[in-house]
Amino acid sequence: MPPVFNQNCIKCFKCVEICPGDVLRETPDGPTVAYPDECWHCGACMMDCPAAAIRLNLPLWMRPVAKQVK
Amino acid sequence: MTKRFKTDVLVIGGGLSGCTAAINARDHGAQVAIMEKSHTERSGAAGTGNDHFWFYDPEIHEPRGWTIPDMVRDISTDGEYGKTKGGLIDQELLEIVAAGTKEAVDRLESWGVQFRYDEIYPWNLQYDAPEGERRYRIVPQFQSEWDTLNYDGRDIKKRLTEQCLKRGVDIHNRVAGTGLLTHGSKVVGATGVHMRTGEFCVFQAKAVIMATGMDQWRLFKPGSGHWFNSQSPPYITGDGEAMAVRAGAEVFILQAGKTRHHGFQYWRNICRSSPAATTCYPAGRLVNAEREVMIRHPAVREPMRKYRQNVEDSVAEGKTPFYLDWTDAEEDEVEYALWAYGNEGLCWALREIMKDLGIDFRTHMIELELEEPGRTTGGFLAPFIDTDCKTSLEGLFACSPVQFAGEVAAPTYTVLGWRSGEKAAEYVKDQPETVLDEAQVESEMKRVTLPIEAEEGHTWQEVNLELNQVMEEYKKYVAGFNPPGKKDAVNLTGLQNTLEMLQRLKETKMNANDPHELVRCNEVMNLIDVGIMMVKAAFEPDQYRQGIWFLGKMKDGEAVFKTKPIKVKYPPKEAA
Repeated sequence: MPPVFNQNCIKCFKCVEICPGDVLRETPDGPTVAYPDECWHCGACMMDCPAAAIRLNLPLWMRPVAKQVK
Repeated sequence: MTKRFKTDVLVIGGGLSGCTAAINARDHGAQVAIMEKSHTERSGAAGTGNDHFWFYDPEIHEPRGWTIPDMVRDISTDGEYGKTKGGLIDQELLEIVAAGTKEAVDRLESWGVQFRYDEIYPWNLQYDAPEGERRYRIVPQFQSEWDTLNYDGRDIKKRLTEQCLKRGVDIHNRVAGTGLLTHGSKVVGATGVHMRTGEFCVFQAKAVIMATGMDQWRLFKPGSGHWFNSQSPPYITGDGEAMAVRAGAEVFILQAGKTRHHGFQYWRNICRSSPAATTCYPAGRLVNAEREVMIRHPAVREPMRKYRQNVEDSVAEGKTPFYLDWTDAEEDEVEYALWAYGNEGLCWALREIMKDLGIDFRTHMIELELEEPGRTTGGFLAPFIDTDCKTSLEGLFACSPVQFAGEVAAPTYTVLGWRSGEKAAEYVKDQPETVLDEAQVESEMKRVTLPIEAEEGHTWQEVNLELNQVMEEYKKYVAGFNPPGKKDAVNLTGLQNTLEMLQRLKETKMNANDPHELVRCNEVMNLIDVGIMMVKAAFEPDQYRQGIWFLGKMKDGEAVFKTKPIKVKYPPKEAA
């Protein structure tokens, strides 16, 4: 489930309105990820959320591989 | 359910090019509608932003002895970047783009996109400006001159959407384009399907501008192994190209080829910026496993062949993997590059993801996955336009996708979009009322909605996977034709078989559970039509190469092909 919604959600559904991949849908309980496999992880939902209620949960295999050197 | 709309100019695709086209068509007096598959505030390749804009400002560049022809030569033949293009691009379009960039920046600025700042930095181009006037943050990119602006482009699509709405452009979000409507040889509108309601939408228009974006994503098996893990939007699926092909417009075709060098997969495709270019400037470097510098910033200051050799040497010496390394940068350089990251597509989200994962550019290097040379890259096709953005079909204009015109991304599409809007608006002034062919509308509705009407059939995913498999066969056999003109029996038979498989796939019944899936089914149907055109073209003895455009179109149900010289307006200085 790529975008993760937290309790800050005010159910304004801006994320559902603008999602470039049309992967989100409105429900009475708030937005849900209706088509999780089709999320581009572009972050538009997180960017436009007025309540800071969204984080992106990248699948393991998409996560940056980082090496700490300092 | 069918909905009908009527307008002067219909723009298909509301990205950077589509929105600018719509604004200018409206400013030239036309009624305008946009048909947009996503939502114009965040759709397209610049949906989540753009941080760099290649431009020519006579006041800055002329005193430096840099002209527009220099810029065109630099990108198309002469510069380190231009040499990799080998004269394979449209210099006339590129010149129009270069000459239009300053005005495009001024317009965007007047619409609320910030391009000039009180503070510029030592690593920006230092130039004189009148007392009290803000200056551009100019950086070197892959070109020979300092000609790229870093700017606050994160919300560029919001600003464009505001301007469209302010002018009364009729925006239809969530309507995916499915076909062009023609009357005789003229384009008189287009159809689409609403991704949430399933309504079939019919737009009657005197002119149509194709602005669906430069990609046919999901035609080939993605390098990452996952359709929706991509640098470009995975929702740009060749819809415009397929519509143009079916309507009989001439398209430019590039066959699949093979890479000659090692490459890098940037950040597992979750980042739109390349590791060594603009967005990381001036903080980033590309290093090998022993932290020897492969590419330093700015990348262009080193000949490309030198860094390629560095990479090849490191691979030979086993000094892999490679990393993007900002850890030696000064704090002010890191902060500047982080600002740029916040404006570049996908990168604002990446910055947030890094926070969540505890990764910091100041302390961590990011691994870049190495790609082997000899990888077969996919083919490509796009409507072929003249310098007025006209395609070969009357009433059909295009601004993205089009043939290769330098690929300076945001500037190319904002300038060509703007131009196509003006040209289409001029064209419709003399046009009589259009007439729709109702039988055509009816048959398009049946074709498009078949997957949701059908009781059973294959899912879009099944058919898309099979399409990827078949296109792998195409890549294998077409690569055997390299160099163009060389053909053998094995490859010819293989290619013939590929074509037959694609034609069978086109007849395969698909099934959609909802309007969203119906659009995905239509995307796959479009990709199949693009694939068929590409494979048919592969049999031709001559192909796109230095000095030659290779073009094809459907005529009376048959694919016909021709070549056309690539006009060289500015020959390389070295040769002159």
